[in-house]
Amino acid sequence: MRTVKLSLPDLFNEIPDEKREESRLSFSISNRLDNLMRARGLSKKQFADAIGKRPNEVTRWLSGEHNFTISTLAMLSTFFGEPIITVQ
Amino acid sequence: MSEVELLLVNSGAGCTAYTIQFLSDDESEFEKFVSKFRQDAELNPDFQAIMRFVEQIMSNGALERYFRREGKMNDSVVALPVLKSKLRLYCLRLTDKILILGNGGVKNTRTYEEDDTLQGYVMDLQKFERLIKQEVRNGNVEITEKEIKTDKTFEL
Repeated sequence: MRTVKLSLPDLFNEIPDEKREESRLSFSISNRLDNLMRARGLSKKQFADAIGKRPNEVTRWLSGEHNFTISTLAMLSTFFGEPIITVQ
Repeated sequence: MSEVELLLVNSGAGCTAYTIQFLSDDESEFEKFVSKFRQDAELNPDFQAIMRFVEQIMSNGALERYFRREGKMNDSVVALPVLKSKLRLYCLRLTDKILILGNGGVKNTRTYEEDDTLQGYVMDLQKFERLIKQEVRNGNVEITEKEIKTDKTFEL
């Protein structure tokens, strides 16, 4: 199989480092949230109902594209009784 | 009918990305998308956002929740980004580790079906999925967990 001429790493390197880091953090938080929901056996709908949000809001959180506020992170860590992120 | 070839874009820790190229074209479908928006001053922020998500998908895998569902219920066509954007990149999510990057464009209509160009990109991917699955059944193409093994060209 042939490979395209375009270099994906070169394309990624055109993106400002802080924006790449922003996406890395957003995806990490969405993965953490997905793991916590799975560990509790919660579907998207059940989780949304439990925290008084609409399922499409949870969809956004799990997409890896959401820019989480401290307020949302605090609400989530309070709900799960575990930190969503750790700051040292 | 047009003949298309499957090309490797990149292999990451979590995902292998492919694209398709019409044999009559100089660029693959994903390269056409990149060429259109890489230098576009107005749309570059939306383009770069999509590329940031592609970068993370290459590391984390092509998980269903990272994509917007497009196409029909019985196909694997998805789009990036999930959140609001002027741009759409259409893809085929064959497994959690195999993604075929297609073409995309500016979305000015409520649904892709209302835009002939965007609908064309989605239909190309839908047709390609039907063909590759047929070839898997025929034993001419092998799809493993993270790889598509073929040197075939496909009549789209």
